[in-house]
Parts: sequence; C-alpha cells; structure tokens
Amino acid sequence: MGQYRAWLDAYGAAYLEAAAWTLAIAVLSFLAALIWGAVLFFLRLNAGRWGERSVDAYVQVLRNTPVLLPIYLIYFGFPLFGVLWPAAVCGGVALVLQNGAYICEIFRGGYKAIDRVQHDAAMSLGLMPWTHFRKVTLPQMLVHSIPALGNQAVLLLKDTSLLSAITVVELTMQSKVLTERTGTAYAPFLVAAAFYLAMVWALEVLTQLAHRSVRWR
Amino acid sequence: MEMTLFDLWVLTRAASISLLLALASIAFGTALALLLTPLAFAPWRIARILYRLYVFVVRGTPVLLLALLVFYALAAYWGRISPYAAGVVVLTLYLGALFAEVFRGGVLAIPRPLWDLSKSLGLPRLSILRRVVSPLVARYTLPPYLNVCVMAVKASSVLSIISVWELTFASREIIERTLDVYRVLGVAALLYFLMCFAIDRLGRRLESRLAAKGFAGERL
Amino acid sequence: MIEIRGLRKSFGGMAVLNGIDLSIGAGEIVALIGRSGCGKTTLLRCINFLEDYDAGEIKLDGEVLWYRQLETGERRRYAERDLARQRQRMGIVFQQFNLFPHMTALENVCLGPRFGQRLPAAATEARARELLARVGLADRLHSYPAHLSGGQQQRVAIARALAMKPQVLLLDEITSALDPELVAEVEDVIRALTQEGIAMVLVTHAMSFAREIAHRIAYLAEGQIAELGKPQDILDRPRDPGLQDFLRRIR
Repeated sequence: MGQYRAWLDAYGAAYLEAAAWTLAIAVLSFLAALIWGAVLFFLRLNAGRWGERSVDAYVQVLRNTPVLLPIYLIYFGFPLFGVLWPAAVCGGVALVLQNGAYICEIFRGGYKAIDRVQHDAAMSLGLMPWTHFRKVTLPQMLVHSIPALGNQAVLLLKDTSLLSAITVVELTMQSKVLTERTGTAYAPFLVAAAFYLAMVWALEVLTQLAHRSVRWR
Repeated sequence: MEMTLFDLWVLTRAASISLLLALASIAFGTALALLLTPLAFAPWRIARILYRLYVFVVRGTPVLLLALLVFYALAAYWGRISPYAAGVVVLTLYLGALFAEVFRGGVLAIPRPLWDLSKSLGLPRLSILRRVVSPLVARYTLPPYLNVCVMAVKASSVLSIISVWELTFASREIIERTLDVYRVLGVAALLYFLMCFAIDRLGRRLESRLAAKGFAGERL
Repeated sequence: MIEIRGLRKSFGGMAVLNGIDLSIGAGEIVALIGRSGCGKTTLLRCINFLEDYDAGEIKLDGEVLWYRQLETGERRRYAERDLARQRQRMGIVFQQFNLFPHMTALENVCLGPRFGQRLPAAATEARARELLARVGLADRLHSYPAHLSGGQQQRVAIARALAMKPQVLLLDEITSALDPELVAEVEDVIRALTQEGIAMVLVTHAMSFAREIAHRIAYLAEGQIAELGKPQDILDRPRDPGLQDFLRRIR
C-alpha cells in the first residue's frame, strides 16, 4: 500500500495535469464541433441540392474513415503549406472536423424526430420560416438530440487519447511515458483508465440530468 | 518526394491486413458477445452486475489505452508477444462489449406479447428461442451489428500505435519518408472508405434478403 | 364566402381530388364525410394550403388564394410572406399532436397572434386568457401539453386557432383520437362556437354530431363530392348508392 501512496505523491500532479489537458481539448473541441455541426446542418437544410449533396459526401467520408487520418493530415500536412500549429491545435481541429460530421447527423435525427403535425400547425399559424424554426423547430430538435449529443461527447473524450500519437501530453501519453520511465508493467495505464472512466461517468450523469431537466416532457 | 506505385501496392497490402484484423476480431468478438449477452439476462444479480461492469469499463476506456494496457500486460506475463496477437485480443475484448450490447438490445426489442403468445401456444422453451426469438433478434440487430463491424475496421487503425503493421501504420511510414502527406492519406482514406462502404452495402443486401423472407418492416 | 372550383390533385399517378366544387357561406358549417382515403382530409388541407393542388381555384371573400393567375393562363404561387398572411385568415385543428409540447397552453395560444400577426404582447396575452377561459381551461394556463388530457389539449388547440380571429375554422377529425369520455368536452366547445357565426369545415366520423351542428354535409367518394345536402337528407334519405353503403357500414 505504501508504495502506491509514494507513487501517487510522485506522479499525481503529472496525471492531474494530463487529465486537465484531456478535458480542455475535449471541451473546446466539443463546443467547436457543435458549432461546426450546426453549420453543416444548416447548409444541408437551406443550401438546396448542392448543399445537401456536399454535406452528405463530407459526412460519409468522415464516418467511414478512422479519426487518425484527419489528425495525421493536419499534423503532417499543414506544415507543408506553412501552417505551423501546435500539436494540440492540430489534433483539436481534426477532432472538430470529425465530430462535426457526426453532430450534423445527430441534429438531423433530432429534426426528423419532430412530428409532422408540428410543422403543419406552425405553418397554419402563418409563421414566417425563420420564426417557425426559431420558436417551434429548434427547441424540440435540441431536446431530442440531447442523449445522442451526450454520447458523442463521450466518444470525443475517448478520441483525445489518439492525440498521443502526435506528441500531445494528455492522459494516454502521460501513462505511456510513466510506464517507460518507471519500468512498472502496466499500472500507470490502469490509473489513466480510472481517470477516463470517472470522466465518462460524469458525462453520462450530466447528459441524463440535462435530458430530465426539460420541464415539458 | 512523391509516393510511388510501389508505395501504392504497399498500402493496398496493408489495407488487406487491416481488413483481416477487423474480420478476425469481429469473429472472436461475436463469439465473446454470445457468451456475454446471456449474463445480462441471467437470474443471478452478480452476473448482471458483472456484465454491466464489463461493458462500462470497456466502453468507457479509449481503445488506444486498452491496446497499450493489453500489450504491456501480456508482454509482462508472456515476454515478447506479437503485436498482431495483442491487437486481436484488444479488439476482441472491445468488440465483444459492443456486440453484446447490440444483442442485448435485440432481445429487449422483442415485444412482450410475443413471449406470451409463444408460451400460450405451448411451444417448448428451446423451440421458442429457435423459431421465434432468434430470427426476430437477427432481423432487428443487423443494422447496429454492421455498424459495429464498421467501427471494427476503424478501430484497427488505432493498433498502428502499438506497432501493428496495417494501413495507418504503413501510411505514416510512407509519409515520414516521402512527405507526400495528402496523396498518401488520400489513398488510405479511400481504402478505408471502400472497406467500410462494402460492409454497409453487404448489410443492405442482407437486410433486403431477410425482408424478402418475411421479416417484414423496419423495427419491431 | 369560400369558393372552391375545380380542385384537382394527383398523387403518384392516382387522382385524390378529381374536380371539387364547393361553396361555403359566411357562418355556414359544412361536414365532410366519406371512407378512409376518399380525399376529405386532403381537401381540408388544400383549403389552407398545407397541401399543394394541381388545378383549380380557392377563393376567400372573392379573393383568389395561394396562386396568382397570370395573363398567360399559368398560375404562380404567392410568395412565402403572402401565403403566411393568407393562412392566418383560417384556423385549423388537427387530430393529434396539435400543440407545441415545449410551450404552455398560454404560450401556445399566444404564438400565432404574437409572432405570426405581430400583435403586441399584452393584448395578445389578454385575449389568450379570455379564449382559454372560454374553452374552460382558465386554471391550466401554465400547464404543458404533456400534463393535459387529450380533450384538454384539443380545447387549447381550438383556442389557439381562434386566437387568429379566423374567418373559417378547419377541423380535421378532432375527436377521432380521443378516449370516448373526453369527446363530449370538445364537442361542447364546438357547439358553443356555432353561435358565434364563424364558418366551419369539419372532417368527421361522428355522424350524430355532424347531424346536430352542420348546415350541410358533403359525401366524398373517388375524389369528388358525390352527394351534398342538408343533414336530414344525406343521413336519412341518401341517394348515392356508395353513400347508402357507407352509412350502412358505420351504423
């Protein structure tokens, strides 16, 4: 027991810092992905057939390729054009591009979940399209999307571990470093796993709270 | 420097390795899931708790971390092990949890009246399972099952980080040598896309075959 | 007041409306009856242009709605803004999922006048309260639809339709989805409305209710009005064989 205690004292700070990085990247990327996903969704809805087709193509490509590819693309590819971002930013942007696609599909699902009669009722009240969207469609769409968005947040959190492949010192990278530095077999990975599980659990609880707090259900 | 035709050939071979890894893991993962799902419905509380714990841990941990854990753990106990073996073990454990949830969802989706109906027809338990439940579960779980298969192909790319030579590993090798980033990754993306798309198409074909056989409708 | 001439609509090669001619006077109540799929709901939805139609004309107070007739003989649809304004002159109540679930009863009723007709908030709310009181829901102003019974929801829906001060009320089988014991409260509200002199077109299966409040009943079959007349004539002395068959089946 004592050695674990000593171990924690020595490396606890490192873990907390790495966990902070993981969280920071995850939160910022998720927020940005929400915005990007919303933009894609709008384009799909309002830019005619061109908008619909291009967004669909984008989504299909990103859904059927591993997340490491966009990460490598930005990390290795952008410097060739003189764009020199820090590794964390490269990774974050890649995560935004990837998750934006999924979030667009989630918004689509939320939109389709609204009963058709709602649309008819709003039209029959003579609401203009923007008011219709703002007051009737959007609130319902967002509430329907909450569970799936929560799930996507968990997926994004886990994907931050891939940033260790491009030298970002987040939880996974930190545990790898510690394993090699201290020579312990695999205990550092278990600690990292514990961190991830705690964060995932917190996210799931938050999602449920958010979904339940909608008063009108 | 530009990538060569040989590099293209290398990438294609690497893609086949990725596919093999995915297929092997899918096979083993499905087998594991068939053992796990019954636990979720077992009459003993401890079994159900174990199931939920397993699924929570495996799904709450990044695949990369699982891979590192398994790789280093196996290496600690068995000395040098093949990254491929470790890779398949990791993916099997990971997909096993995902498939188990898919199957569990399938069983839950069977409407209660169907159980009652079969029982009232006096069918023996096993017969109910075979003739009534399983076909319906199969029909209902096909789309999410294929979804997980696509995830298997994508997860195989994570194995590149524990030195499994597959498409993503090969791509990174070639990029670090030639710096032909966009073309190499473009080819890799295309190859992954084709593999995932093929699974999706296969799935649609299977779905329509099952629908023709009389498993009508979208969902139960 | 409402004039429908030669309304036609095809869907996937099938003619759903095959030349409908119908005139509805101010304050008149017309019931549409017929088999499922005969086109009565489609006709109703064409009246306030929730469905597009292929040919024909719909006039309200002499003004042609929805399409502008060009000199070339072609028709051009009005702009979105004008369509919205035209729709505000009619109110519609649907069979199900009528209310906006994320708004209270009061907010539901205020939405149309406030954001559709752009009337000031205070006046809108006062009128909404009055209408909700009139349908018997003065104590449920701040309830969400999920906490209201089907009958209460439909009454709010009626209040919402009336809030726009429409010239005609369209009712699409508004009691068909209700549990039997809730039907009466909705029918009571409609019955009270018949005194106000507002025109109504109702699609319904409730023959006794139709007989009671309708001035005329139209029987639709194969996309046309097969028979039209006073309730006693239609229901007691039907002439069309299809109508006779239909009435026999539903008794």
